[in-house]
Amino acid sequence: METGIRNPVLKVVFYAILLLWSVSVIYPLIWTVLDALKDNEQFFLNAPWSLPRLPLLWDNFAYVWNHYHFDRYFVNSLVVTVGSTLLGLILSATTAYVLARYPFRGSGLLYLLYISSMMVPFILALIPLFFLMNSFHLINKPIGLILVYASSQFAFGIFVLVGFFKSLPKELEESSVIDGASHFGTFFRVMLPLSQPGLITIAIVNVLNIWNEYIIGTILINDPQQYTLPVEIAVMQKEMQYRTEWGPLFAGLLFTIVPVLIVYIAFQRKIASGITAGAIK
Amino acid sequence: MGRRHPFSIFLQGAILTMRTGTAKAQRYGFIAAFTLPAFAFFCIFTIYPVLQALYYSLFDWSGMSEHKTFVGLDNFKAMFRDPIVWRSVGNDYFLVAGKVIGIMALATFFAVALTRFRFKLSGFFRSIFFIPNVISVVVIGVLWNFIYNPQIGFLNAFLSLFTKEKVDIAWLGFPAHTIWMLLPPAIWAGIGFYMILIIAAIQNIPSSLYEASDMEGAGQWSQFRSITLPLVWEQVKVSIIHITMTTLNGSFIIVWIMTEGGPDNSTQVMGSYMYQMAFRQFHFGFGAAIGVLILVVSLITTIVLQRLMRQETIELG
Repeated sequence: METGIRNPVLKVVFYAILLLWSVSVIYPLIWTVLDALKDNEQFFLNAPWSLPRLPLLWDNFAYVWNHYHFDRYFVNSLVVTVGSTLLGLILSATTAYVLARYPFRGSGLLYLLYISSMMVPFILALIPLFFLMNSFHLINKPIGLILVYASSQFAFGIFVLVGFFKSLPKELEESSVIDGASHFGTFFRVMLPLSQPGLITIAIVNVLNIWNEYIIGTILINDPQQYTLPVEIAVMQKEMQYRTEWGPLFAGLLFTIVPVLIVYIAFQRKIASGITAGAIK
Repeated sequence: MGRRHPFSIFLQGAILTMRTGTAKAQRYGFIAAFTLPAFAFFCIFTIYPVLQALYYSLFDWSGMSEHKTFVGLDNFKAMFRDPIVWRSVGNDYFLVAGKVIGIMALATFFAVALTRFRFKLSGFFRSIFFIPNVISVVVIGVLWNFIYNPQIGFLNAFLSLFTKEKVDIAWLGFPAHTIWMLLPPAIWAGIGFYMILIIAAIQNIPSSLYEASDMEGAGQWSQFRSITLPLVWEQVKVSIIHITMTTLNGSFIIVWIMTEGGPDNSTQVMGSYMYQMAFRQFHFGFGAAIGVLILVVSLITTIVLQRLMRQETIELG
């Protein structure tokens, strides 16, 4: 049977394109690592692709960690990401379960309301959100970010999980009810464990989104103590105009990139299935 | 305590009758407990701000003072007279067009190449190509700023290899062309996501179709045109609409990180201009009006696109 491309020239050309694109993706990451180990002199005198001089400047990492307070920003990002993912997950899972299994008057409308909120540009809510959080005294508080991020996940989470709960066989709940479990017991002991694959998929997609989120972060947080990593990276880049510390900037980028890369490598398949689930609207 | 107290027996009986008698109430209690918290969140942090944005757009308000002045539709009138608003809309559509063409062409090519061409290393390429999608837009903006940097940037250093004198082009400094410079990072960052979508669609096509066409001796190109493209068209449509919406609603982040809308407001998009007017110049009413414009523009664009692309989707019998 014929496999792939017959024309050998085309085959080489296509391979070359794929390789070229791979290089365009990987190379910036490699050069981020190399540049994180350079000092200013090397940035200005040598070509950007030159290797860092020995001894390598590992100090750049310690420098951003301590001097630019990336230790704090890393923890802030971690707290906000984990907190809002968990909160968003429990709220969308409970809603999705009811919408999938306990139809009531208006449940269809409620589902539609959540789903159609995906159509409304979030940026529209940005200005009122700032004043709302201000009046709650939640500006510069991680909890404020957690609340907003958590509710920004509903549409996606509810959409995926309603489908997931509907696909589980009804007999499971029925037998659980016959055993005398309450509605709550059935959900927490039977349905939640069964929906783990769906929950993990959503959690990972949300973790990546929130860890990387910038615009809400920069609006709700003005206090440098409470910055998240992307907010600090943006601020640091602006500072480079009068204080050139390129090596530390690249070291800072790595503190932001490496955690998501680890999550990506560990959960590649989950992420792909999350995308396909979310996009088939 | 061998014997059960009569009262506990009575209590149990009462609970039992309450259970059967008010199963309905219990059911509704459960529904309320499970849906109301999320709904409260949704109302406070999504519905209320969206409605409030519509309301703010009718006021002249610096954000700091308590009193806002009701100005009716004046913000919208001022908006339509502001040439920067028009330029922003133009830039937004430029990015939409550039991204739709660039991303869809490359993502479709990669998806076909990594499934139908049966290359070795397909899985490896697929994993690599998705990486930009997991990286923050802020990081991507900083990386590309470095590529474009006039003194120490990658692009100038590369071009200098071929010239006698050192190239020192300020890539982000030309009012007339800088918006073009924002396309490569936007396309580079977007491809993986849509590639995954189209790969999933291709993998749903029954292999018997390809086998039959192999037997007729059809080549890759004719298979792509007669089998793959028609059967992934639905996914392509979804992707185009998704690119359009996310660009109109979110392209301002890369703009803000890379150029802040400059030089001379030439790369301003609706979102970045809204951010600048509201949070930098404290015209919150005017900013909210731009927000409403973004909503209207993206809804209309989506509807028009859906109309335009309404082509018979081929259902597999």
